[in-house]
Parts: sequence; C-alpha cells; structure tokens
Amino acid sequence: MSSDSERFAEAEDGGPQPEKHCGHGRGGMGEDVKRKEDQRFITGRGNYVDDIKKPDMLHCEIVRSPHAHARIENIDKSRALDVDGVVAVLTADDLREYDLATMPTLMADTQDVLVNDKVKFQSQEVAAVIATDRYTAKDGAQKVVVDYDVLEPVVDAEASLEDDAPLIRDDIEDKEDNHCLDWETGDEEATAEAFEEADVTVTEDMLYQRLHPAPIETCGAVGDYDPGKDKLTVHMTSQAPHIHRTLFAQVSGIPEHKIRIVSPDVGGGFGNKVPIYPGYVVAAAASYVLEQPVKWVEERSENIQSTGFARDYDMTGELAATDDGEILAVRTDVLADHGAYNAVAQPSKFPAGFFNIFTGSYDIDTAYGSLTAAYTNTAPGGVAYRCSFRVTEAVYLIERMVKVLADELGMDPAEIRRKNFIQPEQFPYESSTGWNYDSGDYEGALDKALEMADYDHYREEQQRRIDEDADKLLGIGISSFTEVVGAGPGKTCDIAGVEMFDSAEIRVHPTGNATVRVGVQTQGQGHETTFAQIVAEELGMDVEDITVEHGDTDTDPYGLGTYGSRSTPVAGAAAAVASRKVREKAKAIAANELEAAEEDITWDRESGEFHVAGAPDRSVTITEIAAGAYMNHPSSEEPGLEAVNYYDPPEMTYPFGSYIVIVEVDRETGEVEFEKFVAVDDCGNRINPMIIEGQIHGGLAQGIGTAMLEHVTFDDNGNVTGGDFMNYLLPTSMEIPNFETGHTVTPSPHHPIGAKGVGESPTVGSPPAIVNAVVDAMSHAGITHVEMPMTPDTVWAKLDEAGLATDPADSISLEFEDQSSDTTADD
Amino acid sequence: MTNTREITLTVNGTEHTIDVEPRQLLVHAIREELDMTGTHIGCDTGNCGACTVLKDGEPIKSCLMFATQADGSELMTVEGMEDLPEARGDLHPLQEGFREEHGLQCGYCTPGMLMSGKALLDENPDPSEEEIREAISGNLCRCTGYQNIVRSIEYAAEELEEVAAADGGTTVASGTDTSSADAPSAFDSEFDCGVENCCGGPTTDRNHDADTGGEHK
Ligand code: FES
Ligand code: FES
Repeated sequence: MSSDSERFAEAEDGGPQPEKHCGHGRGGMGEDVKRKEDQRFITGRGNYVDDIKKPDMLHCEIVRSPHAHARIENIDKSRALDVDGVVAVLTADDLREYDLATMPTLMADTQDVLVNDKVKFQSQEVAAVIATDRYTAKDGAQKVVVDYDVLEPVVDAEASLEDDAPLIRDDIEDKEDNHCLDWETGDEEATAEAFEEADVTVTEDMLYQRLHPAPIETCGAVGDYDPGKDKLTVHMTSQAPHIHRTLFAQVSGIPEHKIRIVSPDVGGGFGNKVPIYPGYVVAAAASYVLEQPVKWVEERSENIQSTGFARDYDMTGELAATDDGEILAVRTDVLADHGAYNAVAQPSKFPAGFFNIFTGSYDIDTAYGSLTAAYTNTAPGGVAYRCSFRVTEAVYLIERMVKVLADELGMDPAEIRRKNFIQPEQFPYESSTGWNYDSGDYEGALDKALEMADYDHYREEQQRRIDEDADKLLGIGISSFTEVVGAGPGKTCDIAGVEMFDSAEIRVHPTGNATVRVGVQTQGQGHETTFAQIVAEELGMDVEDITVEHGDTDTDPYGLGTYGSRSTPVAGAAAAVASRKVREKAKAIAANELEAAEEDITWDRESGEFHVAGAPDRSVTITEIAAGAYMNHPSSEEPGLEAVNYYDPPEMTYPFGSYIVIVEVDRETGEVEFEKFVAVDDCGNRINPMIIEGQIHGGLAQGIGTAMLEHVTFDDNGNVTGGDFMNYLLPTSMEIPNFETGHTVTPSPHHPIGAKGVGESPTVGSPPAIVNAVVDAMSHAGITHVEMPMTPDTVWAKLDEAGLATDPADSISLEFEDQSSDTTADD
Repeated sequence: MTNTREITLTVNGTEHTIDVEPRQLLVHAIREELDMTGTHIGCDTGNCGACTVLKDGEPIKSCLMFATQADGSELMTVEGMEDLPEARGDLHPLQEGFREEHGLQCGYCTPGMLMSGKALLDENPDPSEEEIREAISGNLCRCTGYQNIVRSIEYAAEELEEVAAADGGTTVASGTDTSSADAPSAFDSEFDCGVENCCGGPTTDRNHDADTGGEHK
C-alpha cells in the first residue's frame, strides 16, 4: 500500500493534482527531516506570550465570579484602587464607554467581556485590575468588592430544559427557556422505515463527557498600543491570528490595518486557542486606553474553568441491521450542552459541526440524526478539541454502535466492519448525510492493524482467560474511523463569515534561498519544517535553504488558521500551488539562461533541475535561476521570483485508519492496563513520517486521557469540581503505553500533493477503540457499554453488574471487622 | 507590598543578587527578575512540572517554592545546558536527544523535561524505560504522548556513555558518578539524590549506593 508507485502522475498544468514524489535527499516529501523549530525550544529560547516583556508593561488580573448564577448588584473598586501600584480597575461600565462591553462569539452569540448584569457561569469575568506587576494586580483583584444576588444555577443540560429551570439567558429578548438550538440531518421517515423492517436493531446511550483541551501553556495576551503610530499590536495565544484581527477590528471599531496580531510560539492549542476570550479583549482595550503595554496570562484553573471546553454530547445511538450483520440504517439523538453562550467554534453554517458524518466508514443507505442544544450555567464552549468540528463525537457514536451490534449478533467486530465498509471502488463516495468522501481503503488499514496486533492470538487468549476464570480479563477493541478534515471549501465553510481558504507566499531570494509565509499558525505541529519540505519538494531546493514564517498578520498572507487538521490540506496545498507558480516563472528564466525556448524547458523532480528537453546536461538549478531572476531577468518577465496562492479547497479530505487496543481488566480493582496499542493511519501522501508519528502518539495519549481520566465536573451549586490539574487529570508518562504505529497510503485525488491531514485522527479514532476494548472484556457477560472516563470504580461497577467482579469490598470489610488481622485480597 | 529581601542565587554558574518580595515564587524570580524565560509555568497546583529546575542538583518545581527559600542555592535551568562540559561546546546530549528522537512538539514542557531527564541521568546513567517514565511522571506533556521523550532520554544516556568512554572511562557528566559525593560538578556544587520526592539526601546515602543500581524507593 505504501509504495511510491501508487502516487499520482503530475498534472499537465501544474494545477491541483496529486504528484508523485519520493525522497531525493534534499528534505522533500517523505523524508524524516529533523525539525527546524527544535533548536530554540531545546535551548530555552522559545518565545511564548508570557515570555514577552516590554518597557512599562502593566499586568492584568481578572476578578472572577465565585458563583455560577448571580446578579451583580454593586462593584466597589475603591479599595483596589488604593493599592499602591494598581493603575486601573475596569468593569463592564468602563468598557461600555468604548463599546467593548460585549463581544460576538464565533456563532454570533453575544458574550459579556466583563459581566454586564448577570453572572452566567462560575469563574466568569467580572472586573479587571491593571497594575504595575503581577503580584500587585492580584492584590488589587482581592480588594474588588462585588455584591452578588445569588441565583439558582443549572449545570445539567437535561435539567436546564425542564419547565421550572431558572432562566439563564434573560439578556436575549423574549427568551423564556434555556433552549439553544435544534438541528437535524438525514431522512427521518426512511430511517424509521428501515428500523421497522430490520431483522435486528440495537440502541445504546452514551455520554461524550465534557473535556478541556488543556494545552500546557494557558491562554494569554500582551496588548501593545503604540500611540505614535496609532497601531494596536496584540501578541496572543492564537490558533487563528488573521481571523482574530478581523474580529478585533469588528468589535473595537479600530480599522483593521491599524491592528496587528502576533501569535508567537504557542504551547499547544488543540482547539482551545481558536475562540476569542474576554482576557484578550481586556488586555488590548486596557493598553489602548492607558497607552502602555498590558499583559494578561491566565492561570490553569482559569483556563479550565472559563475557556472553551469540548464535547459534552449526550447521545443515543441506534443501528438497524440484517441477521447477517449488514447495517441498514443509523439513527441518533443528541442533547448538547453549550454552556452559557453559544460559543462553539465551528463553521457558522454547521451548528452541530460535522456531526452528521456519523455514518462513519460504512456504506449505510439511510441515516437520521437530531440534536437539541441547551444553555447551562457553565463556561461557554463546544470547541473542536483536536477535532474537526464534532467529528470526534460522530466517530465515537458509530464505532461504539458497531461493537454493540457485533455483540448482539455474536459476530466478530472485525468481520462486521469488513462487511459494511465503503469499498475502494465506491470512491468518490457520497454518504447518506451528504458527505463526499475523497478516497479510502478501509479494509487495507484494518487488515494491517489486525496483523500488527496479532488479533487471532489475542482472541484465543481472551477465551482462555474466560474459560479459566482468570483474575484479569482480556478485551480487544477496534475502531475503523473516517475523519473529515481540511475545511473549506469557502462556499460552505466559514468562520465568522470569512471563507475557509488558506494561503502561502514564497519569496526566492537572489542567492537562491527562500522565505515562505503561511496563513496558518503552528502550536507544535512542526509547520516550519513540513511546509519547508513541501516547497523543497516542489522547487528542487534543499530544505535547509527555506525558512517558514507564520503567526504575524502584518507580514503573512491572510489565512483562517490551524485547527480541524486543516493546515496540510489547505495551507499545504497553497504552498504546493505557490511553488508551482514559482516553477512556471523559473522555466522562463531557465530558458533565458540556457538560451532555449521556454516550451523546451522541463523540470526534473529527481534532480530538482531545469533542463532543455532531450539535453539533460544543459541544465540550471533553482539557485542559478534565482540569480537570473534578479540579475539577468528575461524581458518577457517581471524581475524577482515570488508567488502567492490563496487556496480554496474543492472538497474536504478524509483521512482514516484502524486502531486496535488490547487491555487487561482487573476483576478485583477495575483497573485497566494496556497490553497492546496498534494504530494504523492513512493520511494520504506523507510529508514527514517522523512528525506524523509524533502527531499520532500525542493524539493517542489524548484519546487515553479522554477514555480513562478526563472530565470537567460540576456540583449542584455550579462549582467546577474538575477545574485544575489536581482534579482534571491529564495522563502522565505512567498511564501512556508505547504505541505501535503503521500506515497505508491512499492519496487524496483532489489535493495538489495528495495529502490529507493527520493531527486529529488519533484523538478522534482512539476513544471508541479503548472503550470497545474494555466493553469487550465483559461483553461475554452481557455488558454493552461503559461510560468515559473509565476510572477503576466505573469499570468495577460494570464488572459487578456482570457478575465478574471479584469483590474487594469483602476483604476491605474484613479489615474493618478485624483490625488485627493482616487481610489482603485473595490472590 | 514593597518590603523586599536581598537574596543570592547562583544560576547556571553565575551569581545574581536580587531584591525580591518574600512572597515571590522562585519561578517568577527566575523568569521575571533574571529574565530567563526558558523555565515555564503550566499550572497553579504544582502538577505540571513545566517549571522544573535543578536546585543544588535536585529537580524541584520552582512554582512550589519562594525565591527566598532558594537563597544561597545553586540553580540550573535549561539555559545552562549548553555550558555543561558534556555538551562540549554544542548541545547537551539530552537536548540532542530531544531533537533526534522528536521528543518535543510545542516545546512548552521541554525545559522541564530536560531538567528531570538531567537529574535522572546524573543519578542513574543507565536507566530502564520504567525508571525514565517514573522520573518524568511529574512533568506533563500534552503533545507527545511521552514515548519519544523516553527515547530522547535513552538517546542521551547512550551519548553520555560514549562521551564518558571517549574520555577514558572517567565521566565528564556532572554527577554521573553515583558512588562519590565528590564527583566533579559543572558548578562545583554538592551532589544529592536528584530525584524528586525521594529521600532528598546526597547520593552517598545507603539507598543510593552504586550497588543498588540507582534504585529509588
Ligand atoms: S508550574 Fe506546574 S508544577 Fe510548577
Ligand atoms: S511538547 Fe507540548 S507540552 Fe510537551
């Protein structure tokens, strides 16, 4: 599968067609180039927002509400202003003067920058203290006295939709309930019919719990207004600097050319740094008003408690099938918690994101999905945490349901997948919910994963343990997911109205090296290396001779940013197309240098040189051409050697893969241990395998966090009980096993270099594989589902329900009864 | 809150005398008073390890200590790694390992990881995978899934061994010689356990006898 021979031929016009490529030793496509960005990070020279220090810089501390639902009766700033070093205390009243009291969310809801009237979630931003240093700002914040009239909160989506639930959004005219939106997809009637006629139907309720992306660097900004130039620079932790500039202009009324957003080194994003948060606005506004730089950096608890959470989809899944396992229809109903504002971060025409890709990797004729979203007294969100807009929830639903169906029918979960996969010859494939899958070979990936996992052996071992009543059960989980990534096209996908294209600009310098600027931004994905590799490949340059810049709206071409695995599919395509534009011009220069006709000049990918057709020794390198472009340019051309491309993808790309997880479940403690973790991914043509593998590892670790540990929880009073790293548990080196990765290569036919994007596949694909594995360990005893996070007590409760638990309670109670005895569990 | 105290910190071999508020956290003193921003902050509960530095050879979370508590101590941060003898004027083998084995993505956890890795290798030059995983278990990484970080530290262990072998069997690494409390150090500091939440004692403690193979209990 992975041979280069399968790659596509070069398109005549150099247009967006996959090209064939292979390593030429110059650091082009497919080579494990060591990352260019590493040098500064391993030597402590990274430059993250909190590292920025400016003369006269002030610090901002935000006063947050301890209550989840409360009306603000009074804010007394006086004691805070008395603190030596406190420069200003801002409240909504102050911001209102500048028309900055509210800001639009990405879904065009209106969120308070600082609470105008009523607090809607715990830790909401109430006031901001600006002071000469970090500690003084905190002193000041402690002295802001806020009188609250505490209201009854509702933090549960189901409860919030009940008639007697307290009204959260009384700021919306005529609003009488906490209903946020309804959405549906597919053919309800046809699906109902299919369910009536089917031999078998299965149904399962499952909660995709509230998560937080929790990058290790929190969000922050340095607002830096320069009154001399009348220009506002905001250094901020932004995954989408250009769109943030546009939003800043819209919110503040400052003309867009007077705003510069710089996203410096960013310590992980994962969707958390796509939205605009009040802290950014306050830091920028304070700098504008005070004419001094103002830094705001949130603490971890502020990050988890107030910035964009992810998931929180309470789903019911149903499948209708024939007796021999052919899936006829899928149906789902979702209750979504959107928090206090509709602030999901996704294309505005997709209120449920790309959730309607819930038919997954399977050829299913009929589907219907419905969704209701509710407001609750919790932080706003529903961001795409390492996820292309709810595809994670969709994949979880379908991959879990396939396992439920397999168990119902007594079929092998690998077999039932094989039976229902969309076949390679069916591509391009249009799904029953309207998605146009570009390419795939799902069985190829599954077969490879089964082989790597030694599947048959573990099935036998599983049975042996059941037969021998072993202490530890074995479970084997499969997930054969399909992702949809790379939004646009612009005609269907937008962020705040701006079409989702992306861009790259290439400048080849007179001495033969190049600067590439891209509209996307990296938070660890390695763009400075992979984009250089694309250009190296397409121009025959050495990767060492290319510098990639990003994250500065003053210098980079406009782009929509990095999320939804869209950098390679969209900006990567732009880099390839811009390179080909340069290559076209280079041909004219080569003709001039070689004194030949332009039509006779060909470019040889292998050597990276331009030569006269039929005379390979009459050739020039890109270095020579660069010199020619500036020192001896042909009269038919403008001097210089540059190109820019704004790429609007014709379609999205559909990476896929099969993950197999083998776990041991301890019947006494409910603990789950990973025995084997196999991940086979297909992201089309591969740019840098080392970086891809790194992305897979990281995403799988996040998938394990999701499945085993992470959950943002609340108590009935609306207090966040999982709001810091003591209580919101990120997996450590002790919980994450070693992964075995493999790949197949099925290029995207519509992408210029046949690449599909990969960053999110592992986070999307792994949670159902892990849950399927744990369920699989108990499915012989009738267990069909275990909710995430699968902590030992959750798993033990299921073991107990299935009569599989060996009861530690017995030994514990014995210990209590007889303190003197040295009782431990039977072993 | 202007009452301050004068403290002396020796960071990466250079002595600094600064005035700090008694409440100032060590991590803020390093980052904001000394302008060494390689040491990061990732949490407010002492869980993430992004702020890990070596204090008198021992890895500590510099967000869990006031600067005044570190008065008179020798600190090492990521900025000092290239000056260590085993870096031989270039990158330290640990830094090289992280690049070679793709042990970092966003780089935010990396300085802390390097410090925990350094403390481990100083104490235990030939750690098992399990020992490496344990040594970095107080450092969260959201990007890499840890596997490549483990490989990076293994790479460094091998490199350091080669460096030592090339030097005729005597180690140049600061404190890799666990059997002697007088091992030569980059900054001539005294050596101690080097493993967080361990005994905190010097490497000559009975638990750290070379015979135990660097086992920590
Ligand atoms: S900053 Fe997280 S442990 Fe110190
Ligand atoms: S590399 Fe990003 S947190 Fe470790």
